[in-house]
Parts: sequence; C-alpha cells; structure tokens
Amino acid sequence: MKEINELNLPENFLYTEQHEWAEKGDVVKVGVTDYAQDQLGDIVFVELPEVGDSFEKGDECATLESVKAVSEMYCPVSGEVVEINEALEDEPGLINEDPYEKGWMFKVKVTSADGLMDKAAYLEMLKGA
Amino acid sequence: MVKKTRLNSRHHEMGANMAEFGGYEMPLWYKTGAKDEHLAVLRAAGIFDTSHMAFVELRGGDSLALLQKTFSKDLNACIGPNKLPIADKRCVYGVFLNEEGHVIDDAIVYKFADDNYSIVVNAGMGKGIADHLDNYKDGLDVKITDYSDNLGKFDVQGPLSGLILKSVINNPKEVFDVFPYFSHKGHFDKSLVNSAEVTLKNSNIPILLSRTGYTGEFGFEIFVSLEFFEEVWDLFVEAGRIYELTPCGLASRDSLRAGACLPLSHQDIGHWPYLNHPWEFTLPFTEDKKGFAKEFVGSSALLNSDYNYHTYAFAGSDLRKVNAEEAVVVDENDNEIGKVLTCATDVGADWADGKIFSITSPPDSGKPSDFRPKGIRCGFVRVDRKLNIGDRVYLKAKKRKLDAVIVNDVRPHRTARKKITSMP
Repeated sequence: MKEINELNLPENFLYTEQHEWAEKGDVVKVGVTDYAQDQLGDIVFVELPEVGDSFEKGDECATLESVKAVSEMYCPVSGEVVEINEALEDEPGLINEDPYEKGWMFKVKVTSADGLMDKAAYLEMLKGA
Repeated sequence: MVKKTRLNSRHHEMGANMAEFGGYEMPLWYKTGAKDEHLAVLRAAGIFDTSHMAFVELRGGDSLALLQKTFSKDLNACIGPNKLPIADKRCVYGVFLNEEGHVIDDAIVYKFADDNYSIVVNAGMGKGIADHLDNYKDGLDVKITDYSDNLGKFDVQGPLSGLILKSVINNPKEVFDVFPYFSHKGHFDKSLVNSAEVTLKNSNIPILLSRTGYTGEFGFEIFVSLEFFEEVWDLFVEAGRIYELTPCGLASRDSLRAGACLPLSHQDIGHWPYLNHPWEFTLPFTEDKKGFAKEFVGSSALLNSDYNYHTYAFAGSDLRKVNAEEAVVVDENDNEIGKVLTCATDVGADWADGKIFSITSPPDSGKPSDFRPKGIRCGFVRVDRKLNIGDRVYLKAKKRKLDAVIVNDVRPHRTARKKITSMP
C-alpha cells in the first residue's frame, strides 16, 4: 500500500471525499485518485456513463471493477457528459498505471463544481483517515 | 487485537496492501497486483504466507477413533477409487460438523503414524477445533495440541513449484520419486523420525512438505518450525527468482480457488446443514446415497434434515462481478431464489466457442491460438430449489444484473492432480 507521502496528487486538480478528481474549468476531465486506485487494486473493468448523461455532484456515474470488489464512482461535479475515455474499455488498468492522464474517465460540461477540495485539503483529509 | 504473522514486516516491505482476515493482518496483494499474481500461479509459481492457518496435533492410540467420530470423511475408506483406509503420508479433505450438521470448519487431516495425526484448519479455528475434539474424546487415548501461532506455513503453487522445491531440498530425486496429490513427506518436528525425509540444503532444516493447496494448481504446502520460518521463506523467495516465483496475496488466492470450485469456509459452507453442495464427496454416503457408512458428529442431523436449499458453482459470460454480500440470485422472471456466496473473477479463464478455457489449457484442447482471456466471474450460489447443470440464473445487486450458468467446474485443465513425474 502506498504511504500518504508516496501518493501522486497533482497540484492543480480538485478532489472529493470519495477520492475522485476533476480538472478546473468549464469542460473538465474527471477520474479517481491515486489513493482510490491503490485501495481498489487491479482494475479489470470499467462501466462508463454515456455521452449526454447528466449528473448532479455525488450521483453514481460509473462502476469500477477491481479484483477485490465492485465500486461505484460518484460524479465529482454537476454537468453533462460530453466525452468518455474509450481506451479504458480495452485497458482498464490505465487507471492503475496513470490515474490522472491516460486513466481519465470522462469529460463533463460543468454546471457546478462546488464543494471540492484542493490538494492541501484532500491531503489533510487522507492524513486524518 | 489484530494478529500479525512472522512475515508481517516482509509483506509491508514488499509493498503489500494489507487487510484483516480471520483475525490476522494479511496481504491482499503486493505491488505486482492481484491479476498478475493469479496469472503467475497459472504460468509459473506463486508463494503465499498461510501461517495464519491453524495446526492441531493428535497423539495417542485412539487418534483415529476420535477422528472417525468427528470428521466427515470415513478415514477407513477414503484413499483412491478402491476406497482404501488412510495410510501414513496421506492426507484427506473433509469437514467438522456440530450436532446440528452445520460446518464448524473444513480441514485436511494428515496421517503420520497410527498414533500421530494432524489437522490443518482455517485462521483462528485451532482452538475451536481442539475444544470441539476435546468434547468428544471421553475415555479415548488422545492428546490434543493446538499449534496455532506456533508453526510457520507457506504455500508454493503453480507449475514450476517442483523446480523451486528441487533446488532447495536435499535428495530431491527421492522426495519427488512418488508423490501423489494429497500426500505428504517429512515433518517439521526434529524429534520425529519422519523429519529426516525432507530437509533443506546446507541448513538441514526439516520441513513437512504436502502436495496440497488452495489454488487448483500443482503445488505444495510447506510447514516449518517457527524458529526457522523467516529464514525458510527468504530461501524460497530467493531460489524462486529465476522461476518468476511471485509473492501472492489473499485476493489472488480467492480468485484462484473460486475458479477451482473450492469452498471458502464460513462463506460457501457454514452455519447451515452441510448438504446439497458440490463437496458431497466429503460425506461418507452409502452407494444408494440414503445413509452414511459411519456415524459421526452431525451425521444424524443431516440424515433427518428436510433442508432443501442447494449450493451450486456458477460461471458468468464475462468478468463483471457483484459484491456477494449485497447480491441476490433471481430466476428469469426476476423472482428471488437465493443468495450469492462467492463471486470472484478468474482472470486466467474465458469462453471460446461455448466452452471455458484456461491459459493452462493445452493446444490440443481446442483452445483458440489467439486465446487471451479477460476473465470470467465465478463462485457459488445457494438457492431454494434444485437446478440442473446448464441452467441460467442472474446475480442481482443495485443496478447490476449479471448472468450465471450453473456448472460442474469452472477453470479447466488444472494442474493440481497431475502426475508429479509429468511436471518440470
């Protein structure tokens, strides 16, 4: 298991309590954090939403299937899905290898990005966990 | 208080994700990841810390009598197709039941001599089984010793296990000459004559070497005195490097055993009557299946039971799973008919032309030449009706509804039972 100081947490991203991340902006990529992928273990299957789906922040939006368990991903922002990362269909393990770049999950046209944490706040939360 | 095995610091050093299991902090997977650990056992070999498991020794002239009274297998008729009595150096899988016919734990019974048997049970079950046996030993000449936390144990599993073993033991030729599945050689206890049979090179540390395991693949369980445990684990890890021996955690252990249709005690078998399941070979049924060849604790409850739930193995069409604890089994009309006991993904197996193949399937098995499995879900369901092989049910949890076909077996062409002389 990664120690907290070994976690890769990019500076300019926003984070949720359920270990999702979102870029800053109007149309943003979202995914799960390094902490989440480390806890889940090998991700063997991802069920992504469809382009055109709308979510409120906190809605179940995707399913991550690891060797250990089936876990829901909660949408880190409110908005409409405009693109999905189709590479995950054949290579779900990209989320383990590179959770912020190649392992992004889908893109959202944001209507609200309230209640997210910056890196420092997310790190504080992890340290308290 | 969560217990730690002697290898705990090594697991952490190797970057394991740890979790509590059976009262012990155990590795779920290492940096390799559970998927590659599972595949390593199919392709090469894996090494598992199993020292959380318990070992109970029976000494005395009435050891067999006590086992006959309590163990589900008839030890006077259990070896081979001709049902011969258990012999020295053999071991047998079965269960211990309570008077209600419910499972206390599953176990492997080892015979070393007429007055020396041992029982290997699950983590945290040593005392429970020792106490249970103690309740039934009235007037019998048996001394029961629980070795829980006082014995080292690890498993080496996979087709290259033999090569690794041969590179670390003295006299590999003799040891590997005749060595059937479910037999054992040597002993970790120096004071026993058997202990000279299998010893390690240079150090001459004696080990108990057992051709058993929990993966369905060719391999061994190794028992060693606690004082030498870390030393011997390190020796195997080092010797295994050239054979791609991979340290494996509980996640791959679970997915491998699910594909091999082996039950997890207290999950697939447990506090319900031990009837109507894929492991009835562990019960001493008479040929007409109307009675038992011997009486044992729990047998009359089973014979008088009106229990009509059935446990079956299943295989799904793809690798998706449900979390067993939140899933139900439904029929095609969406009627709830039971519960999911285990749902795991065997990542070494997949469907091709309506059949399941494993990466271990030989080329002449019909396996497609470009076979690259994604994995299939598999495990066990317990339902309120009799089903037939090939029947389709669904596993339902939250938004998910996944198909499951009732099967006799999941991952084919397993290597556990292969003749030792046919393995490298």
